[in-house]
Amino acid sequence: MNRVVLIAGILITVALVLVLSAGLGKDPQHIESPLIGKQAPDFALQAVGTHETIDLAKFRGKPLVVNFWATWCRPCYEEHPVLVSNAQMMQGQVQFLGVVFQDKEEKIQGFLNERGSAYPTLVDDAGKTAIAYGVGGVPETFFLNKDGKVVAKFEGPIDPDSLQQNIRKAMTQ
Amino acid sequence: MTWIFVLLLVTGVKVPDAEQIVGQPQGPVVSGPMLDQQTNEIAGLLRCPVCQGMSVADSPSEMAVNMKHQVRELIARGYTREQILRYFERSYGQFVLLKPKFQGVNTLVWILPILALGVGIFAIFSMMTKGGDGQPVDQPSVDEDPYLAEVRKLTGKQS
Amino acid sequence: MTSSLGRLLILLSLLVSTTGAVLGYAAGWKKSADGLKWARRFAFTFSLLMIGATLVMEYALISHDFSVGYVAQVGSRDVPLWVTLVSLWSSLEGSILFWGFILAAYIAGATWLTRNEHIEYMPYAIGTWLFSGSFFSFLIAGPASPFQTVANPPMDGPGPNPLLQNHVLMAIHPPFLYLGYVGMTIPFGFATAALLRGRLGQSFLRPLRNSLLLPWIFLTIAIMLGGWWAYEVLGWGGYWAWDPVENASLLPWLTATAALHSALVMERRGSLKGWTVTLVQASFLLTILGTFMTRSGVFNSVHSFTQSSIGPTILVFLAVILIGSVTLLALRIDSLESDSRFEGPLSREGFFLINNLLFVLFTFTVLIGTVFPLVVEALKGKQMSVGRPYFDSMVVPIGAVLLFILGVGPALPWGRASKEQAKRALLPPLIGATIVAGIGLALGVRNPWTIITLAFGGYAAQVTLGQMWLPVVQRIRRGDSAGHAIIDSQLVRGRRRFGSYLIHAGAVIVIVAIAVSSTMRTQQEVRLNRGESATVGGYTFTFTGTDVKQEPHRTSTLAHFDVTKNGRQVAQLAPRMNQYAAMRDPLGTPDVHTTLKGDIYLSIMNIEGDAVGVNVILTPMVGWIWWAVLLMGAGGIVALIPGSRAVALQARSESPVIQGDEVGAN
Repeated sequence: MNRVVLIAGILITVALVLVLSAGLGKDPQHIESPLIGKQAPDFALQAVGTHETIDLAKFRGKPLVVNFWATWCRPCYEEHPVLVSNAQMMQGQVQFLGVVFQDKEEKIQGFLNERGSAYPTLVDDAGKTAIAYGVGGVPETFFLNKDGKVVAKFEGPIDPDSLQQNIRKAMTQ
Repeated sequence: MTWIFVLLLVTGVKVPDAEQIVGQPQGPVVSGPMLDQQTNEIAGLLRCPVCQGMSVADSPSEMAVNMKHQVRELIARGYTREQILRYFERSYGQFVLLKPKFQGVNTLVWILPILALGVGIFAIFSMMTKGGDGQPVDQPSVDEDPYLAEVRKLTGKQS
Repeated sequence: MTSSLGRLLILLSLLVSTTGAVLGYAAGWKKSADGLKWARRFAFTFSLLMIGATLVMEYALISHDFSVGYVAQVGSRDVPLWVTLVSLWSSLEGSILFWGFILAAYIAGATWLTRNEHIEYMPYAIGTWLFSGSFFSFLIAGPASPFQTVANPPMDGPGPNPLLQNHVLMAIHPPFLYLGYVGMTIPFGFATAALLRGRLGQSFLRPLRNSLLLPWIFLTIAIMLGGWWAYEVLGWGGYWAWDPVENASLLPWLTATAALHSALVMERRGSLKGWTVTLVQASFLLTILGTFMTRSGVFNSVHSFTQSSIGPTILVFLAVILIGSVTLLALRIDSLESDSRFEGPLSREGFFLINNLLFVLFTFTVLIGTVFPLVVEALKGKQMSVGRPYFDSMVVPIGAVLLFILGVGPALPWGRASKEQAKRALLPPLIGATIVAGIGLALGVRNPWTIITLAFGGYAAQVTLGQMWLPVVQRIRRGDSAGHAIIDSQLVRGRRRFGSYLIHAGAVIVIVAIAVSSTMRTQQEVRLNRGESATVGGYTFTFTGTDVKQEPHRTSTLAHFDVTKNGRQVAQLAPRMNQYAAMRDPLGTPDVHTTLKGDIYLSIMNIEGDAVGVNVILTPMVGWIWWAVLLMGAGGIVALIPGSRAVALQARSESPVIQGDEVGAN
């Protein structure tokens, strides 16, 4: 019995199998956000339609939901009504903002005309805001507390329960 | 492109800036072919978050192109490599760095191969100094082809 | 009906392979000749069944039988015939069936070729092969079944992924890859047999070595084809990204190469048996690991098949054979070794040992880099990446040392070399080193690693050519005519030796070409309106206009460029932007002009009306890589061609000697 081979072999086997099985069930496309717990990057972007410049800092004092989306993203169509209805429901308590990047203004306007809008939709400049927030795909939704700190990030189309859950986090943390 | 800057300034639009995150640029302002070269270099160290593993320098996706422009702009303004990498790391985490930072548990990925090299060198030394005492090295095994064994005997040569 | 037939054949193959495996191991244990006979029958039956099932699937694909699950998934009436044939391996379930098909062919071939020999080993070998066969049959029968019956068959299907229809290489690269990958099962069976028997005789070396060499040739070419495909089709201008699946194909190649070298020492000196067997086991294990990496969805890769449930199943199989191999090795490795001693580091054996170490280190490093992100995520929940910059930093020094060894090793004699011998062998190639490095410096190379690589490469080239033609030179000295000397000693008698040196020659060119093409590359993004020109690296690129080509599954916009140098036209390039009906984003195809000196490569970044943004990439010597790897493949084929025993014996007894010294032929 060659001890060296046995021990080396067992080590390699155990390590490999453990590591690989830990990887199973995880989605390799998902990126954890390092921004959670940190101050949200400040920005001031133009709103679609009105071309009014809206500054993030203006919304301090209230929890904020920032939703990154685009008209070419299928799941965004599904989550839009959820966001709109919640925004109307929580008007005055929570502020919603939409940020669109890599898209054309006419398309965005068309989308909103068709599907309604209950909060400002801003156009990102060259995707810089998305980059600063570490957006990897759309849709992604960030939840900020009243001091402007990021408390949660949700990837993919958001459902009513998760939305409420995260808003509660933003209100209490 | 300057007219866009002017327009943005006039309308008060501002995007999150590197300044908020990594402070003032700490290197010299760069332009020309040097700028292209450095952009490619640093973009090559950043991972495109929406592609499968490609670097920002290589990826054609819009996200990567945007990131590359941002890198270019930051270099032009004088930000150093460390600052730029730190800026992207802040938003995306260490995921976006293609070269693992030598910090914390990540040091292992750099050290383990070196350790393996050490183990290997040690193994070779111990094998080489094990040494027998000059006995014939190639002993034909029992189930060797009898024809071969015969020929070997006749020619008087090993192997 | 077709689905049922397919399912039946697969179930039968599962039954036959499982029974055959048990039978094989039992026959080996009991040393039963009858048992062996039956095991061989089971092996052939399994092969027939599996090949039959594959033919059924191809028939279903060609006849557009959408009642078969896999055909409904990847079939289409709109695609050309070659795409239909090739869609067998375009998606996960079909690719596992393809694996089974190749495995069946290999098992049938290996069982046939060993029909009268090695009766003490063969039952174990067949048992092992059929064990693998039964696992893959199980996958095809269960978790990854392509033969599901579709309740309401559609009229047409979506066709395979558009990315895979872009280039004819899609028809060649996967088969070569599978022929390389799956082929590692055969030497694994032989090695396992040797371990179970507790001995590895000299006569068993030939099947072990040849069954390793054949898949090695395929794998070498497959890896090159993968790189070439990435370069010609993907548009980022590079050929290797250290993507997890690319690494998966490289890992078994590294251990198989080490095993081939190790087997050489085993043959000449009887030592390194344990090393050789371990490396062969590792090669097979790494192919299973590779299959896991590609199909489990655990790794973020451009090559990944979509996530599926077969990941855990493959992991279990991997764990089982890992544990089995480790146990077997631990128990039997010592009984394999014969007495041997090492003549010290300044000998060919010593260098073979160092060679083994380096290849293992190379494998270990690539493996660590590939799985490390998983480790960190499991331990700390954080995500990090290990990308090209890491691998390049680690692999470049290892590659340089390997090139060094490729030069020095074959120059040294077997056995302890005296100082005189060493000097005579090791000093002259310094001329080659200086010449090649000098040429590089003259042509503008400044990167220190590249210069080192050029120097080592020149050294290795001189040694390789010298050793390659040594037998011919000696014959001519003894009075033979040149023609006769060449044909007889290189092609008739010394094929293994000649082939091996051809492989080395190819390898030297590949390593040097990789070094030069990576470090001397020029890349620039250029925006042009119609009629405008830009100059990059001495070449002038003029954008002359666009035109649009309509094909059934895609619309391509071509951007035409005239490339001139000093007023003379060098090339006309037309990179493309393809819009596939099935995909949102367009996919670019570059256009490349290849010359001996280097490539001129254009890839479109965006087209808007009459303005185009292109990536201009000038890469010296990159074309050399593909051809040099083909040279390696050719060398492998030459080495593999069997010769008659009498010829082989005579060749050995006439080993060329260097002026009175006892230097080995191989």
